[in-house]
Amino acid sequence: MSEPMGEPAIEPALTPPLTPGQIRGRRQWPLPKQADPAAPLLQVRNLQTYFKLGSGWVKAVDDVSFGLTDGEALGLVGESGCGKTTTALSLVRLLPTNGRIRGGSVELFGIDLVAKSDLALQRYRWREISIIFQGAMNALNPVIQVRRQIAEPIRYRLGQSEAASQKRAEELLDLVGIPSRRLGAYPHELSGGMRQRAMIAMALACDPAIVIGDEPTTALDAMVQAQILQLLEQLRRELGLSLILITHDLSVVAETCDRVLVMYAGRVAEEGPVARVFTEPRHPYTRKLLGAFPNIRSDRRTLETIPGEPPNLLNPPPGCRFAPRCPQVMPVCTEVVPPEAVFADGVRVACHLYETPVHETPA
Amino acid sequence: MSGRYLGQRVLQALGTIVAIVLLNFLLFRLMPGSPERILLRNPNLSPQVVEATRARWGLDKPLLPDQLVAYIGSTVQGDFGYSFKFRGQSVTSVIADRIGPTLLLVGLGELISAIAGIAIGAYAGWRRGGLVDRVGSGASLVLYSMPYFVIGMPLIVIFAAGLGWFPTSGMTSVGGGDRPFPANLIDLARHLALPLATVSLGLIGQYSILMRSAIIETRSEDYITTARAKGLRDGRVLRAHAFPNAMLPMVTLIAINLGYVIGGAITAEIVFSWPGLGTLTITALSARDYPVLQGIFLLVAVSVVLANLAADIIYGILDPRVRG
Amino acid sequence: MSATISVASARSQRWRLRGTRLRTFAARYSGRKDGMLGLVVLAAFTVLALAPDLFVGPLETATRATAHAFDAPSAQHFFGADDLGRDMLNRTVHGARISMTIGLLATVITLVFGVVVGLVAGYSGGLVDNVLMRVADFFLVLPTFVLALILAPVLIEVVGADAEFLGIRATLLVIVVVIGITSWAATARIIRSQTLSLKQRMFVDRARVVGVGPGRIILRHILPNVVNLIVANAVLTFATAVLTETTLSFIGLGDPFQPSWGQILNGAQSSGAAGLGAWWMIAPPAASVVLVILAFTLMGNALDDLLNPKARTRQ
Repeated sequence: MSEPMGEPAIEPALTPPLTPGQIRGRRQWPLPKQADPAAPLLQVRNLQTYFKLGSGWVKAVDDVSFGLTDGEALGLVGESGCGKTTTALSLVRLLPTNGRIRGGSVELFGIDLVAKSDLALQRYRWREISIIFQGAMNALNPVIQVRRQIAEPIRYRLGQSEAASQKRAEELLDLVGIPSRRLGAYPHELSGGMRQRAMIAMALACDPAIVIGDEPTTALDAMVQAQILQLLEQLRRELGLSLILITHDLSVVAETCDRVLVMYAGRVAEEGPVARVFTEPRHPYTRKLLGAFPNIRSDRRTLETIPGEPPNLLNPPPGCRFAPRCPQVMPVCTEVVPPEAVFADGVRVACHLYETPVHETPA
Repeated sequence: MSGRYLGQRVLQALGTIVAIVLLNFLLFRLMPGSPERILLRNPNLSPQVVEATRARWGLDKPLLPDQLVAYIGSTVQGDFGYSFKFRGQSVTSVIADRIGPTLLLVGLGELISAIAGIAIGAYAGWRRGGLVDRVGSGASLVLYSMPYFVIGMPLIVIFAAGLGWFPTSGMTSVGGGDRPFPANLIDLARHLALPLATVSLGLIGQYSILMRSAIIETRSEDYITTARAKGLRDGRVLRAHAFPNAMLPMVTLIAINLGYVIGGAITAEIVFSWPGLGTLTITALSARDYPVLQGIFLLVAVSVVLANLAADIIYGILDPRVRG
Repeated sequence: MSATISVASARSQRWRLRGTRLRTFAARYSGRKDGMLGLVVLAAFTVLALAPDLFVGPLETATRATAHAFDAPSAQHFFGADDLGRDMLNRTVHGARISMTIGLLATVITLVFGVVVGLVAGYSGGLVDNVLMRVADFFLVLPTFVLALILAPVLIEVVGADAEFLGIRATLLVIVVVIGITSWAATARIIRSQTLSLKQRMFVDRARVVGVGPGRIILRHILPNVVNLIVANAVLTFATAVLTETTLSFIGLGDPFQPSWGQILNGAQSSGAAGLGAWWMIAPPAASVVLVILAFTLMGNALDDLLNPKARTRQ
């Protein structure tokens, strides 16, 4: 674990990654009827997800845009409460009862999911976008055998027979490395790492287009964490998974992801290829975040705190939301929301420091 | 289920039963002037019964250990002495005669109310604030506030005295039980209808209120979010994921209530003159027939303790975490 | 000198704080529609119970009956008359006084006993706690209603049916005691668990280190912090007490000379009112019982949501 950052460690034994074309081609189940085969896998535009709290709205996700191409892994990072989980769950509208998507679009194969009714959206849940939840102990139903929980979406979403779905569930458990003698286990009978593996198997059940990992390793100890990440990496290369990985651990992103999206207080601060963003952070917040990890490959987990608190999202500051804590704050920052500056190396930054960047290209 | 868990529960139940027997023994002996004053004040007593009672209680011997040993000995053998009111009959036979009708009435009532209450409560909790929730929860709360006789008396006024659909009391018409097969059953059903409705309505509130809150609590669990994320239909999320977990506390309640089947719905039986343990209790009470009262108390208490034990065991079987 | 001043000002500050808390609590409670409905119903019955003579004159007895037997409701007798020609409105209003007094007394006994046992068990811990809680568990499992049935006549035999206390006859007092004996355990359990968690808190430790005795710690530091719980519990206990009293009286353990609603219904039952279709002998006391119990349940639920820390976080 001492290689220079920016070059994700690749186990030599792994098969080479699949190309985007291969990934679309090896899809087991037909695309949704309305799908546009030429459209990108996922395009999120100006997403706004608010929570009703008392008399006001908490602007948890405000004007967030990003894309995901086939076989790509995107890391969503930021402090807790910055809206990364809400952003991901908004894709399939898995929000608490007080949450609303107030604007923007989520286009999967060119189909806007925000416009779908609740009933129509069910078609896309798990079959197209599945989720590896954070704490598998609570995310798995305690009174149902793990194998049955994995078989359930195969049985009820893909319409397979009971026997076929049970068999598929066994294959999936084998794929994620759960020994066959644990087939009849209930969640509490498995170790934390095993439960997380079962959760991953469940996420793969319908061969989805996108898998969202919501802090999939946070609750695990360091050894198990490494094993789970290795498993994800292996699955990604073998199956060509398109992955959105939510984490606050930058080293996980550095090892696993192709691109990274840094969020602060419900907005995108910076986005771009992991290698570029981590070697040359442009947003002051990204710099602070990386500065807190002097060597992101080391096993140091003490995050130096950035002075100040994230803003209250019920009533956020009018300009840049990072302005109150920013070391390079300018008068304009407290008044005007910074526009996104796009650089030639594929990095985009929402900061007034780059008002007229040399390499700007039209968005 | 681990043997340790089971053993612990069984020991606990045994301890409680011993304590109940002791309480029953002491209740009539530690009161000032008891038990002679209470036992022998009854004007209905024949000399033989007085003698039998004295011999049974061994009142001439010291309280400890002789009386206690004798009492426990005969209790264990199912001998609860002789009734004051029903001369010459043993308490055991008096109680045995009345147990069937009570089991029929309250057992059926438990069944109906549990099924209906769980269905209403589950739906109300799942669609919180919806029409079923508002109507069902309101009605449940009102029913929960009504003792059996407050439900039963209006039912008689409306359906027996007013509309004349059902008889007002008893379990059979005169000679009704002796009629050939379908007729006797129909006669019984007509007599059973109103008392059964009373018991069912009286119990339904409790079940639906608890089921509703169990479902509401379950609904916010992470695994429900997982089930929704799987794109399962709403009905399947409820049936396959929320329901089995919400049923865990319900099963306990049902099992515990089964223990009260014998203690029954005393006031429901009174209102309809149903010939069960409830009316027997009241008859014994007004005749100050203490041996019968004690017998009933012991029977009810032990069945409640056993039902609690059964609840623990069933819970252990249903919840894989306890089963371990 | 300065110490006394600061103690005095701290005390007045505390009172002011309590006043503010009470006001915010009242504001939050008044936002609960169900709780307010319960309060209004309860207030109406309390007014009736305080001065029944003012509304309907003295209690009608067999000799003072003003109507004919089984008279249906009419302009003179809004609620009709019973089998002895006694006005049902008169008896129902007087019944409020008896039913609610018994309910109140039984609640007080239950709470005093339950709170004391709960505080002592929770604070002492160890063997005392163990023994007290075993006893409480035993009473929780016992079929309390059947026990009450057996206890009541035995107690009446012992004290004599004609004894009197505070103008309440022995039969009713026995009912009060029986309800108390059979329902303290639930309160004790709740108070104990709260006491256990309070005992771990800093301010109790500090008091103990300074050398404050256990009695004073319980009274000054723990009791004030379980008051919320006691209030919420009291209201629900009251509902149960009224229900138990009504049932015991209905069964025939009440006092015909001081008729509660249960006793009035007992009269209706023994005269066969239901079978005769004399609904007016049943409806007024039955509706009163249901309204009062419902009012207490609604208030209890509202208070529980507002005052019980566990219920609040569950929301």
